[in-house]
Amino acid sequence: MSGLSGLMEGRVVFVTGAAAGVGRGVATAFGSAGAIVGLGVRRPEAAEETAAEVTAAGGIPVILRCDVTDAAQSAAAIEQLIRDFRRLDAVVHNAVSGRSSEATDFENTTLDEWEDHAAVTVRATWRLAVQSYPHLQKSKGAYLLMSSPAGIEGSERAPFYSAVKAAQRGFVRALAREWGPDHIRVNSVAPLAISPALENMKILEPERVKRIEGLVPLGRLGDPETDIGPPSVFLCSDEARYVTGQTLVVSGGRFTSL
Amino acid sequence: MATSSTTLVIASSSGIGSSIAQRLRDRGDHIVQIDPAFDLTNAESVGQELRSLSEGRVIDRVVFAAIDPSAFRAAPITSLDESEWDQAAEYPMRAAFIVLQQIHSVIADGGRVILVLPTVVATGVSGLVPLCSAVEAIRVMAKAVARRWGVRSITVNTIEVELSAFMLGDDDPNGVEIPAVPVLGQPSLPAGSAVDDVLGLIDMLATPAAGAITGALLVADRGTVMQP
Repeated sequence: MSGLSGLMEGRVVFVTGAAAGVGRGVATAFGSAGAIVGLGVRRPEAAEETAAEVTAAGGIPVILRCDVTDAAQSAAAIEQLIRDFRRLDAVVHNAVSGRSSEATDFENTTLDEWEDHAAVTVRATWRLAVQSYPHLQKSKGAYLLMSSPAGIEGSERAPFYSAVKAAQRGFVRALAREWGPDHIRVNSVAPLAISPALENMKILEPERVKRIEGLVPLGRLGDPETDIGPPSVFLCSDEARYVTGQTLVVSGGRFTSL
Repeated sequence: MATSSTTLVIASSSGIGSSIAQRLRDRGDHIVQIDPAFDLTNAESVGQELRSLSEGRVIDRVVFAAIDPSAFRAAPITSLDESEWDQAAEYPMRAAFIVLQQIHSVIADGGRVILVLPTVVATGVSGLVPLCSAVEAIRVMAKAVARRWGVRSITVNTIEVELSAFMLGDDDPNGVEIPAVPVLGQPSLPAGSAVDDVLGLIDMLATPAAGAITGALLVADRGTVMQP
């Protein structure tokens, strides 16, 4: 992780969904880059391991209660970072619905299931942007969305997840233009990585996971911290000062035509 | 090219969807049309309406062109309240879900589903963050559905046309000023009718030869935005 050293020194980053999976790995990578990392989680006790990892990596963790579907909680989390550190340099919206790993029976399901996905991935994407705007404007910061290859190719098994992740891609392209004059950069990462859902799938459907791994030219699923973290840090750092409106597919070559 | 198919058109009372419906009707196609003023997010009533409108006929084609012009009103996202965000961004996504879901039970095997959307995502448009979010969500939802319905030989494709085509026939589109889509220059091809352009593609997609095209995006903008 030495390549990240100092890249975000003294910068303040807010990562949602930081308790596990990609969010935890990305938060730790920001720690390696020297950042103060706000760990947005629904249950603060669930972020203790992530906080320890951020500290061990060299960063400063701040655990923040933040169910992103609750406007008051996300506003309070951002305000706490501003109150304590007087700046916000990047927001990484990674949280997803707890039902993201479930298959969707599109032809028979109801709007309730759609709402679970939309509240976290569509509405909170907009709301976090609005709430963080004055601070990112001041720091000339970055807004990064953790999207998904499913949001580009469209998954048969997960049509809702695909749609809300695609919404984020459209959001990024338009907001990058809207916020460009403010020098706020807006990007997304579409990762293929080990997640709690994939860990679960390894147990329940090991053959399916093997099949997925077999489709990856690099032969394995990405590690959240060492494979997904560095490109995420890069996109929020000054090194990516001329990169905006982009979706970076980080998939070991699994998706080469998106 | 007249056909004997029954086409369901989900479109507003003006704009390109309505023009497509009229042109298909003029040439003798059987058309059933749902106006978006109808609550497209109510699964039960949409399903009932579809069954009622089709009068027992099997639907061969569906053209979904139901983005409400209010979604074209440019505004910074920081100026929107939750209700405005919902109307411009999330309502179209919910409507697309419910319509596609309900179509499933009335469309014939081998049927064609065609979504007509504005070509705003390729470039991104300042002031239209909600619309760009909705359009990309619907386009990818259609791809996911294309994968699911392929087993019934149903194809699901998207045609994108210039934003202005959605204002066709609207003398006073509720004060909506069409935002500028950032492109390098003018259309590469001579100016023409967006309705003709889209109808040509709808007819092409109805041919047996197009039965292998699904989950695709066809951009009918006369070369204004050439995607990388």
